[in-house]
Amino acid sequence: MNEPGTANDPAALIEAYYEAGFTDGLPVVPPSETSIAAMLAGAGLRGDEVIGEIRGRNARVTADKVALNAVMAGCLPEYLPVVVAAVTGLCHPDFSYHGPASSTGGSAMVLIVNGSLAETLGINSGHNAFGQGHRANATIGRAVRLVMMNVMNTKPGFLDRATFGTPGKYSFCFAERPEHPWEPFHVSRGFAATDSTVTVYASNSLHQVFNQLASTPEPILACYADALCNLGSPNVLGFNEGLVVMGFEHAEVMRAAGWSRRDVQTWLVEHARRRVAEFKRAGRLTGDVTPADETAWRYVYEAPEDILIVCAGGAGSWSACLPGWGKKWTRSITTRIDKEPA
Amino acid sequence: MKIFDPTSKPVDAAVTLPARPASLRGLRIGLVENKKVNSSAILEKLAERLAARHGTTVTVRNSKRSMSHEIDDAAIAALRGGADVVISGIGD
Repeated sequence: MNEPGTANDPAALIEAYYEAGFTDGLPVVPPSETSIAAMLAGAGLRGDEVIGEIRGRNARVTADKVALNAVMAGCLPEYLPVVVAAVTGLCHPDFSYHGPASSTGGSAMVLIVNGSLAETLGINSGHNAFGQGHRANATIGRAVRLVMMNVMNTKPGFLDRATFGTPGKYSFCFAERPEHPWEPFHVSRGFAATDSTVTVYASNSLHQVFNQLASTPEPILACYADALCNLGSPNVLGFNEGLVVMGFEHAEVMRAAGWSRRDVQTWLVEHARRRVAEFKRAGRLTGDVTPADETAWRYVYEAPEDILIVCAGGAGSWSACLPGWGKKWTRSITTRIDKEPA
Repeated sequence: MKIFDPTSKPVDAAVTLPARPASLRGLRIGLVENKKVNSSAILEKLAERLAARHGTTVTVRNSKRSMSHEIDDAAIAALRGGADVVISGIGD
């Protein structure tokens, strides 16, 4: 019986989770003993297994809490290994969770899934890759954010001090397209082609880049470089990573021209730059503008490998550029998804 | 109606803070700067004023890897053993 106002009324349960402050603003799926156990079984985990720790926050993430939040997010049990691997990445010391999680420059935790598991789970890599309409994308990213809020003390107004935040803070999960001019992204980071992985990357902005006319790499890459080094970028003060999610049509231009991933990365590092004078006039660098500043370049990426190149998206002459949060205070982390779904 | 709690308890349930000193007179100061712009300059100026008003001395200086990183155990030990009061926490 699901009578309104009774203990079994789903709407009343959903409201109770709102009142308790456990949601991200959207309704959650009320968990049960059965659904939590099924979720844990999806990753072959015991409830007391430790997934990771955020030492500076005195927080330990255990599997039972990850599973509970994944149920609330609407995940299927087979999604849990991806959620767990993503949370493991957030807890990696080099990700340095506290900065990107609490900064005024509120970041989305971008999750990039690679390998056969992405297709098995139906994680969208094609049309509307960042958008709505795919359960796996929507709920895996949401589960990670709920774990951040409920387990890792990342509540807005408390240890999440975002000035604006971004809609990507609700969920930001997509897969790389299998069709690719180069080796898959996770293979470029040292994993086996047979591995499935999830990469966590903190970014507070997303620039969709349009270029329909260019048929050679340089003009397209010039648009990316511009998006990756805007005057307001935190990278002006120091180096960090940048993520380029290359649409299929742009990737095809690179392939046809014989450009490697390294060629693209190197070109972007060399061209994501502005004159020192521009940054000074904008108040992003201190000091008076000198004649030398008019011709001196300020580069915002340090090394080719700091530009992450991933392929996704559907038809259309679009790509997306996502400058990283901070300087080198956080690094993207790729984690192998060890436990395949039961 | 059963509500499952999705939150976690802190690993260390209780954190004991040392008592605040009754006076700053002659105390040893530890400075922890976090690499924010002008963080070090502000802390040093603060220490300078405390020295002038209360006769304090800066005995430990720590510079974190970044504002995003936690202070390391060695630095905590140095502060615990070498400073009576610690000043940290610079935002934007």
